[in-house]
This record gives sequence, structure tokens and C-alpha cells, in this order.
Amino acid sequence: MANVNVGQCSTLCDRQTEVCGAEHASGSDSESTSSTCSSSDYSDDLEPEWLDDIQKNGELFYLELSEGEEEAALAQANASQGVSTNHVRFSEKEAEIITEQNKKQRCGSRAKGEPALKRLARILRRKRRPSQRRGGGKDAGKDDSTLTPLASILKNQPSQRLGVSVQQQQLKEVCVYLNPKRLGGSSTPLSDSGGLLEALLGVIHRPSWTRGHGDSTFVRQEERLTVHGLIPNSPAIKCGQILIGDVLLAVDDVDVTSENIERVLSCIPGPTQVRLTLETEAPGDGSNAGGASSTRKTKSSPPVSQLVRLLWGEDTAELQMSIGHIPHIAMYLSLQLDSASLQEEEEILYQYPVSEASTQLKGVRGIFLTLCDMLENVTGGRIISSSLLLGKHLVHVGYWKESNNLLVIGLPADRVPLLYLQTVVGDVVRTLKVMYGSLDRAFCKADHTPRLDHFFCLFFQQLIQPSHLRDTALAPTLDVSGTLFLDGLPAVRWLTLPPEIKMEVDTVLSDFESSDFGEMSEDFFGLRRLYVILGSCLFYKSYLIANHLPKEDLLDVCLYCQHYCLLPLASEQRVGQLVIWREVFPQQRANGGGAVPGFSQSQGRHFLLIVGLRHFMQCVLLEAGGCASPAVGSPGPDCVYVDQVKATLLQLEALEAGIEERLNAPPAPCLSCADWFLPAATARDRLDSLASSSPVFSKLAGAVKGPTLGTRGRSLFGEKSRRSSPQRSLSDSGSEGPMDAGSGSSSSMAPGFSPHSTPDSARKLGGRRDSLGSGGSDGSGGSGGLFKIPRMKHPNPFYLGTLKKTLTERETEEMYNTMKLSSGAENTLFHYVLMESVQGIFIAPTHREVAQLSGSIHPQLIRNFHHCCLSIRAAFQQSLPPRGRRAADRPQGGGWSLGPVKEHGVLFQCKPENWTDQRKPAPTMTYWVIGRMLLEPVPQEFYVCFHDSVAEVPVEMAFRLSFGLAL
Amino acid sequence: MMLQDGSTQLLCLTASSGVPLFTRGASRQLPFSVIGSLNGVHMFGGGQGVVLSCCETEGGGKVVWRVFQESVMLIAVSAGGPGGAGSSSKEEEARLQRLLENVWNCMVLVLGQDELANMRNVERIKRDLRSCFSLIDQLLEERHEGFLGNLTHCADSLLPPNPTLVQEAVDGFAQAADSDFGCLLVHGRIAAATEKWWRLAPQEVVLLSVLMRSLSASGSASCDYPVFLPHGSPTVAHRLLRFHLLPGADVCVLCGPTPSLHRAESGLVGRFWSPLVETLRDCLAVGERCLPASISLRPDMLALLLINRETRRSVSCVRIPTNHPLSDPPLPSKARCWELLKLFYSFSMTRYFSQEETLCVSPEERTQKGNTEDFVLGFTHQPLQCYLVTEECKSFGLQTAQHQLFLVTPPSVPTFALRTAATQTLSDIVTATGF
Repeated sequence: MANVNVGQCSTLCDRQTEVCGAEHASGSDSESTSSTCSSSDYSDDLEPEWLDDIQKNGELFYLELSEGEEEAALAQANASQGVSTNHVRFSEKEAEIITEQNKKQRCGSRAKGEPALKRLARILRRKRRPSQRRGGGKDAGKDDSTLTPLASILKNQPSQRLGVSVQQQQLKEVCVYLNPKRLGGSSTPLSDSGGLLEALLGVIHRPSWTRGHGDSTFVRQEERLTVHGLIPNSPAIKCGQILIGDVLLAVDDVDVTSENIERVLSCIPGPTQVRLTLETEAPGDGSNAGGASSTRKTKSSPPVSQLVRLLWGEDTAELQMSIGHIPHIAMYLSLQLDSASLQEEEEILYQYPVSEASTQLKGVRGIFLTLCDMLENVTGGRIISSSLLLGKHLVHVGYWKESNNLLVIGLPADRVPLLYLQTVVGDVVRTLKVMYGSLDRAFCKADHTPRLDHFFCLFFQQLIQPSHLRDTALAPTLDVSGTLFLDGLPAVRWLTLPPEIKMEVDTVLSDFESSDFGEMSEDFFGLRRLYVILGSCLFYKSYLIANHLPKEDLLDVCLYCQHYCLLPLASEQRVGQLVIWREVFPQQRANGGGAVPGFSQSQGRHFLLIVGLRHFMQCVLLEAGGCASPAVGSPGPDCVYVDQVKATLLQLEALEAGIEERLNAPPAPCLSCADWFLPAATARDRLDSLASSSPVFSKLAGAVKGPTLGTRGRSLFGEKSRRSSPQRSLSDSGSEGPMDAGSGSSSSMAPGFSPHSTPDSARKLGGRRDSLGSGGSDGSGGSGGLFKIPRMKHPNPFYLGTLKKTLTERETEEMYNTMKLSSGAENTLFHYVLMESVQGIFIAPTHREVAQLSGSIHPQLIRNFHHCCLSIRAAFQQSLPPRGRRAADRPQGGGWSLGPVKEHGVLFQCKPENWTDQRKPAPTMTYWVIGRMLLEPVPQEFYVCFHDSVAEVPVEMAFRLSFGLAL
Repeated sequence: MMLQDGSTQLLCLTASSGVPLFTRGASRQLPFSVIGSLNGVHMFGGGQGVVLSCCETEGGGKVVWRVFQESVMLIAVSAGGPGGAGSSSKEEEARLQRLLENVWNCMVLVLGQDELANMRNVERIKRDLRSCFSLIDQLLEERHEGFLGNLTHCADSLLPPNPTLVQEAVDGFAQAADSDFGCLLVHGRIAAATEKWWRLAPQEVVLLSVLMRSLSASGSASCDYPVFLPHGSPTVAHRLLRFHLLPGADVCVLCGPTPSLHRAESGLVGRFWSPLVETLRDCLAVGERCLPASISLRPDMLALLLINRETRRSVSCVRIPTNHPLSDPPLPSKARCWELLKLFYSFSMTRYFSQEETLCVSPEERTQKGNTEDFVLGFTHQPLQCYLVTEECKSFGLQTAQHQLFLVTPPSVPTFALRTAATQTLSDIVTATGF
């Protein structure tokens, strides 16, 4: 293993030396560097692509989609347009354009005497990627490679134009959305030739198109604005109606020519929609139709999802406008009035967004200030929330007071129920604190405003219109409650892996965390370490698969990732490269937590490095100061560390097949689809479903596939659970087969099978189950004893270190190779969520498992499950002592006078939609959603959803599930 | 902190001018600056098109605002705090919303809507409102055990052992008094009432019961009390004639100008009710159990609330098993059982079960309801049953097309048995009494 590591590293290191050698061994001769450089094939990799994107304060957010993604998009768009703008600098709308000089300075400060060749190479590289970083389309004229893709969008090729004798000219009006504010942030500098026409609208017009590429000194005459080209991802190309060859005649009814177009466009003050009048040729012949259809396709399938565009910092105004009518606001208000200040609205330190509905909320900020100030004296507690009625919209407003300032967040009630508002606000506050240290530091610095705008734009978009962000084709079932519930859990979604893979993953991570970078490490050069790696965690397709971070740090990191939608991003799209670097303020460390006597936290600064590569994403928490050399100023990401993480991820990619296999494995524990339980489902469906849901059938299938596969796929939830009641498992395994078949066929014979009349087999088993002493586990706490012995024998599954289990032990357990969470003959489990509060992780059926159980009712059921879980969890929260809260520094919300809640369940009834048969009443299916909080032996929360036919004892299920994790 | 833990204060002001009309509840009144600010923020929001409806603070404190008829502003302030009556946010909010609604109805009941809506002479209104104080205090004080009508808006009822006899007597008595509305209260609960009485708005039925209780507490043998019906006739007063039959048993009729109290008392009461003294005694014997002795309840049941969703009647009782062996933890006290029952009811109603008061709900009230029921509407499927296991007790609630049942049991009852116990109890009671 170690050899492999070194080997891979060394190949990488070769490349890195060129880039970073100068920095780390500042004395190393530039001679050798440049020689390797010139001999190297990868001239593109002279330095990392993201180097130019580092902000002045050292932060970096660099996202690049993978080639595959790009190709897919290209194919979708009929290869017609340059979707290759996958290289967009994320500037957080800051009006900073990194000039060559600026960068030189930065590089110069790091490495004195940059090799001249490197600079040249960089310039060359930029030249070679004109489509990605089109410098005002300078290359459009001469570069063939960029012209060819554009050629197909020409609805009339020049040759065809010659052939068609009669061209009917006609006018068309196109509305496009323009945002001059984007100009500041866009990487496209205002070129001399293109001007606003290119930068703002995205229309390339070459005054001297026919006469060859002209110089910028070309003397322009007044001429018609023929569209010669379109800039990718510009408003012009996005609207899909502006075609090459069209002539722009007017903007908002103002006639334009090459003479006045710049003036006209510069008059657009802010984000707005303008109407363009274009002269175009009437569609007529076949080639035209083809062209038009390709354009239409372009329009229907945007090349990259809104989420990515939002992360890139594009289009925020457009997205924001689409929710402008829904009242929402985030304000940071000062409770101290400075009468000397001349500024208007000086009590508003920060506000987002500036829309119509939020104006109304902003107008009543006096209410928030007064209530916050007054109620504390009246009821003896700080204000948490208020509910307001704005016309027909009910808005919940959450408050967070810090020192003399007040954060106010208003959200529509139909998106965030009052029950969960506090959690949402608490999470936002914590995320901001992690990112900036404190709310005051976040809001009171003027240069943070664009970042905060982006932060809250993401926040509101995710809550109010999550569907706009995701590709609906990829994530069809998006429910707000589910997002709220799962994101609100103080835990991260965990994917159980087969032990051998898990061990390898952990080993690779540990290798990395040991900071033994060989000849890349600072030790090698006798220098003090720049950073100490505190730990890292690894995500695969939005699932956490390994974590070497303390819980609170993990939660901090995860909150950041959640907020920036990094997890869904990695699962839905193959990320070509993601590099994030920023200073963070882990809450546990910042609060001086971990009050262990004799131990004091080192007072260092902390940095978060996130590197994503395809579906993997690794988050590393680094500490400067303390053992490592203290950080001065705002250091940017260090190439060595980034590349080491990349190397780790590349190494892990070897395991991807194994992880994918786990994801593709049949769900364990088995899940049922709600639709199968409605008699409407045909018998055939039911049998099919049985084959996939019944443990016996899947076991058989596994046996056919071969033992190794079976082991890997389904031994994840090994049968330790069975140990708690060995008699039952033995008898079950003996009797399940025939019974399953029986119930399947009986239902096929009697389609009117009602869920109320439980199948005999299930009832029998249910009865037996009761007799098996489940009465003790009724929530009176007596159940703990029953399960204590096996628990001690198998240590807590969530302690990630204890993964060493002998194979022989597993082999003996292979005979019970499947896991069924529910009792009874039929599998009645629909969905579950198990949260482990100590480690801060939770497990739930994977997205793919859920997607496999397609059906019309099942997605509804899951939505309902999540909605109910919101209520259940709120009940648990209210009864918990305050320390259990995620937002740790806020005391308990309500004196829950029902007392501490241990278990809470709700029975639901569902009917098939649009039941047409008038004579017969619609069949119904009833199911339980039950939540259970366990404090002993380890704090857990367990939420489960199962069919009503078998009475379940949630405690038992929870234990069964958590034992299954022990592997 | 200006309010005591767990206390609720009610503020009433004129909506247009902000003149305080009265404050009730809590031993210490809030300073006027606070009252003024509380009123001011709401008024200011109104000017900006923003209606402030409620506010929550740490520790379970709540403030709820509501303006009635654009003339009267009611504000309820409750202080949470440890050991306070304040429960989780949602339930407490629902309770306070109910309280404001009841208080307004109560003011209308006594003064009539016209006087309150026009508010010509503030000083006179202030003086007149004093007559409501006893009723309002009764609504504010949650100490009146055994009556859940304020919360459920379902009339607290008592199921007499021989319902037909009592029913006939009430019908006959009302008819003789020239009225369609007659009702017999036993231990403050409705034992029988005329059909028309049940057609009154549920809030009115509940409020009239509260009024009767407070009147009978005064100890007079009979009285003639003018009442406005908040929904039925908010502007025209009716006469409520109440007669004391036996200690704990009262009968009343709502009637027009005739008959006079004296004629009714001397001529009708004796004629209709003296033959029924024994039956009345049987009814009184039912006592707080509310259910005839013929129905045997499971021994391990601490509290029960059964609601008939169609007739808007409810039966509730709390029983502390006396012969129970020393249990660990000790069973909650009787008062605590009532509290648990109320809390569990609010809990279930604010989260899962919907309240159907579509009949007599003004559009204004519907929006208010929307505030508290936004969570219930978020479910894609219909909740039927729910249970809650806490350290103190277990609770089970179920809803059918016609009934809602809420049970509180000791923690020793196994969870899986709750459902059976509930369904069995429901069917037992319904089959035996036809409730």
C-alpha cells in the first residue's frame, strides 16, 4: 500500500516540482526548474489552473466540471455551441480583476525570481484556451478550432446563402435579461474591440468581418450590427433566439448601429430585461429547419445546471428575480443608534435581497428591533421568532441576537415550518461563524458584502426553489421537508462500506494525514511545517465514507459543504476539479471547547481545504500556528497540500468500483415500496417485488451471483442483530421461504386483499414476536438490559477505528446473509433514518435505493415521512436539555411541559391518487412513522416508516439496524 | 422579567386609539410603556401592510396579537420559564389564540357586538366591561379542572345513565318556556340539550356553559341574564333563564321577552323537574367520570378525552387508580393528568389532526387558523393515529371520521398495547352510549 502511495506520489511530484519547487525550496536553482519545465509534456500543468483564482484574502473557490460532463452537454446541445466555458473564475462578484501584474506580485512574493519560461508558458496556455477564457473574443476570428463549433449554429451558412436566391428578411423581437453588475465580476475584461456588446449581451460583432481580423485601431464607420458570433453562456446565447447572421436593429426601440451601441448599452443601470429588435431571414428551407431545431435544443437543455452557475457566481440576479415575489429577507441590524452618523438607514448593517417583498419586511424592521429589545424584559428570554402576515403570505421571522446586533431572517411559512425555523436560523448562524469567526466580523466588513450576498442567495434559493437548482432529471424527488430535515440533523449522511474497502479508505486517509509527503514535505527541506493536518473526511457522491475529524469539526465542515451544495454537486455531476481554500473558525475550537483539565487548545488559525475530483471530495482541516509555523496575513492554498489531497483522491479512485458496487447492491436492510401494498398493484408486480424485497429471494440471487459478490454487497448489515434473538432468526430462516411465496400467491388470487386484514402468516409471526419478550422494550427503559450483552460484545459501530474483524467471524455469519429490519414474514419497512449523535453521522437508504423503489405513492410517502420527522424531531429537541442542541450557545426554546419525549409515532393512511372506480371505495394503506430517541448506551435518534400490518417495536428495529452497522 | 413564570396576562386596548380598556391575569400588571409598545408594534405593522400575529421568546414565552372588528385589540402575553404552564411553542400559541377568541366572544356575549365595534364612549365601555371580568378570569385560569371546552371548542358533556328521560324533560321544559334552546347541566357539563342548542356555534355552546358555571357558582336559585350570541345574534340580546334544580344540577333556556323569570320558575320548573329528581340524582352520581357506570374502562388509564366531531361534544375524565401498587415512577397527580391530557390534545391537534370548524368561521378567522395549521397541511397523507412516550406517561390519540380519542396511560403500559386499548375503549363507549 505504502509503495503504491509513494509511486503515485512520485509521478505527481515530478509535476509539482515545477510548480512549487521554487516556493518551498526558495533557494533551489531556477535553472533546473526551467529545464524540467521545458522537457515536460504537460505544459498545461506548469502551475495549477486555480492559481489565478485565488482572492486577495487568500480564499479560493475553484470549480471545474469534468470533460465527460462537458461532452454530455455538448452532445445535448447538438455540438452547436461553445459550452466549453467550464473554466469560470469564481469571484464572488467582487469587482476585482486579477491583472497580470497583480498575479505577478503574488507569485513574486512567494517565489522570488519566477522563471521567465513559466511566465511565457502561462501566457501560451491562456492563448491556447481561447474558448475557456475568451479575452473578448480576440481569437474568434483567426482560431479555427473555435470557429468550427460556432459554424453549425449559423442558421444559414454562407454557401447556402449563396444558393438561396430569395431571402425574405423579417424582423423579430427578442427579450433578453441583462445584468451590468456581472461585468465587474466576470473574468472577461472589457476588450477594446467588443465592448459592452460582447461583455454584456454576448454578441460578437466584427466591424471588419469580411476584411479579415482588424486591429483594435481600426477606424470604425457607422455600420449595421450583424451578429458574427455569440459568447458562450451569455444572455444572447441563452435566449436561444439570436442567431449568427442576424442584424441587431434596436434595443428597447432605440435604433442602434455600431456607432451608438456602446452608449445605448452603457445606459442600462442595473439588472433588467431589454427588448432587442433583430432582422433575420425567414426560415424556409431544410437547412434552416435543422438549424432552428438545434437552436431549440440549445434552449431546452442549458449546458450546466443552475446550481453550478450559481456557485460560479453567475446569474444570481436572475434567480433572485424569480423568487422576488416571495417575501424573504436577511438583515443584520444594529441595536445601538448612532445619531451622529449621517448615513441613511445606518441601523441596517447588512441586507439581502433588495426585492419588492423584502422592502416590505425591511420597512417594518422597527418591529423587530422593538420586540427584540422589549420582550427580553417582559418574558425573561430573548426573542426567537415572530409570525407576520404579509397580505396572503405568512412569514416566519427568526432572530439571533449577538452583542448589540440582531440578525433577522424572514422566510415564507410554507417553506419552513415554525417548528424548524430555529434550527434553520441556528445553522445559518453557525455556518457564518465557521466562515468568519463571528457575526460581527461577517457583517461589519464592507468588503464581505458581495460574499454575503452570494451566501444568502444560495441560502434562499435552496430553501425557496430548490428545484431550480438541481437538474430535475437527475434528482426527481426533491422535497423541501426532506432537505430541511436531513440538513437540519446534526449529522452527516454516512455510507456503510464493506470492511475491506473501508479499511483501505481509512489507510489512505491516514497516510495522507500523517503529512509524510516525502520529498515534498517541509521536513525534507528542514523547514517548519506550514500546517498541521488536524483531520480530514471523505465524501463519495454526497455520502460520507470516512471521517477522521472530531464531531464538532465534522459538523462545521459539513455545514459549509451543505451550504454551498457541494454534496449534491458531487453526486449529480462529475466534478472535474474542485479546490476550495479558506480560513475557518471551527466552533468547538473557537469556543475553547473540550474542557478537559490540563489540556488547552492551541491557539492557531485554521484553514479548510476541500478538493473534489470526480465523485470524490475530501475536506481537510489544517492548523497553522501551534506546532506549525504561524500563518501570516491571509495565505492562499499551498500547492503541495492541494496536490497531496489530489493524489490521495486519485489513489482512492481505485476503490471506486467497490464503492459503486456497494451503492448498486440491493438495499440492506431490505426496503419495500409503498405501492406494493396497495391492492391496485397487480399480482405480477407483487411477485416481482417480492423477489427483490424478500431476503430469501435476494439471498438466492446472491448465491447465484457468487459468494464473493454476496459478501461484499450484503454483509454490510451483518446478522449480529439476529444474535439478540437467535431462536427467531433460525426459525425465520426456516419458514420464510414458503410463507413469502404463500402470501405472494394468496394476494394474487385475492386482489381485494385489504391491508387491514393482515395476512395470516404475518399475524402469526407478529404474535410470536410479541411472545419473544418484546414487551420489555416498550420504552420504559427496560429494553436496554436485554440488548446490553451483545452490545458490549460488539463495540459501537460508529467508532470508526474498530474495523478489524476477522474474516472467519464474518464467514460464520454469512449464513444469515440478509438483513430485514421489520419482523414478520413480509418485509414491511419503507424507509428509515438512524442518527448517531456521538459521531455526528446518520444513515438512510441511499438515493439509488430509493430510486429503485419507484412507484407513484412511494415518493409521496417519503415526503410525508420527512415532514413527520420534522415534527418528531422538534418534539425530541424541545424535551432535550440545551446542551444537545446543535446551535450550542442558545438555551432551550420552550419549557416542554409534556416532559422528555422518548418515542413518538404517527399512523398515516394513503389512498391511490385519482381512483376512478366509483362503485368501490378506494383501497387504503396505512403505515407508521415512528421516531425514537435513545440516550443509552449511545445517543441515537431513529426514524422509521413501515407498513401497519405488523406491530413493530422501534427500539428493537433501531438496535437491529445499529448492530448491522458494526461491520 | 416583568411577568411571573408560567403566568398569562391579557391586555385589551382600543385598536384605533390605543387606549387600554383592561388587563387581566398575572398578579402584577405590565407597565404601561410595555403595553403601549406591544400595541404600537402591531399598529405600526398594520400601517405597513404587515400583520403581526405572534412572537416567541426563549424559555417558551409567547405574545399573541389579534384585532377584532377593527375596534378591539387583544394581546396575550405568557411567560414561559421552568415549570411554567408554557409548553412547546406551537401548542402554547394555539392555546393563546383560543384564549383571545374566547375572550372576544365573551365580551360580545355580555356587551353585544355593536357597542364594541362602534366604541363611542370609551369610558362607558370600560365600565361595562367590568361585568365580563369574572368570565374572563375563568377563561384565563386554567385551574378549572375537568373542563376542556375552552381548548377543544367542543361542549363538555356528561353521558347520563338514562338519557331518554332527561332528554324528554329538557325538550318539554324548553317548549313550555317558548324556547327552542334548552339545556341541562350536571356538574357544569351538558347532560342533555335540545336539538337547537346543539346547532348553536360550538364556541357559543362552550361559552354558555362557562357562563352557567359562573352563574351557578354565585349560588342564586335562578337568574335572568341578557346574552348576545357571538355568532348567532351578536347584536340582539336574548334572555338566558337559569334555574337551580339540585346542588350540581342546573337547567337553562334561551328565550325572548316571554316568559318572565317568575312565571317560569313557579310554573314550569316544578312541573317538569320534580318527577325527575331521582333521575337527576343518578346523573349527579356519574360525577366527574362523565360516563355511566355501565361502561367499564380499562384500569390502566389515567385520562381520557373523547370528541364527537359531528356534534362537537366531548367527554373527558381523569382517574387515578387508588389501589395501584406502588409504582415507579409515581403516577402523576390528578391535576397533572388533566394538564397532560390538555397538552397532548394541543400537541396532536396542532401537528396532525385538523380541526373542522368550517361551519362558523369567518374568513378573518380562517387566516388565523391557517397560521396555526400550516404544519398539518404539509402532510401528503392523512394522519390517523399518533402516540407519544414520555418519561411520565404514554399518550395515544386517534381520529376516525366521527370521533377523536385521546388517552393518557401510565408508562407501565406496553406501547404496542396502546392502540388496542384505544380502539377498544372507543368502540366500548360508542356502542354502549351511542355517543
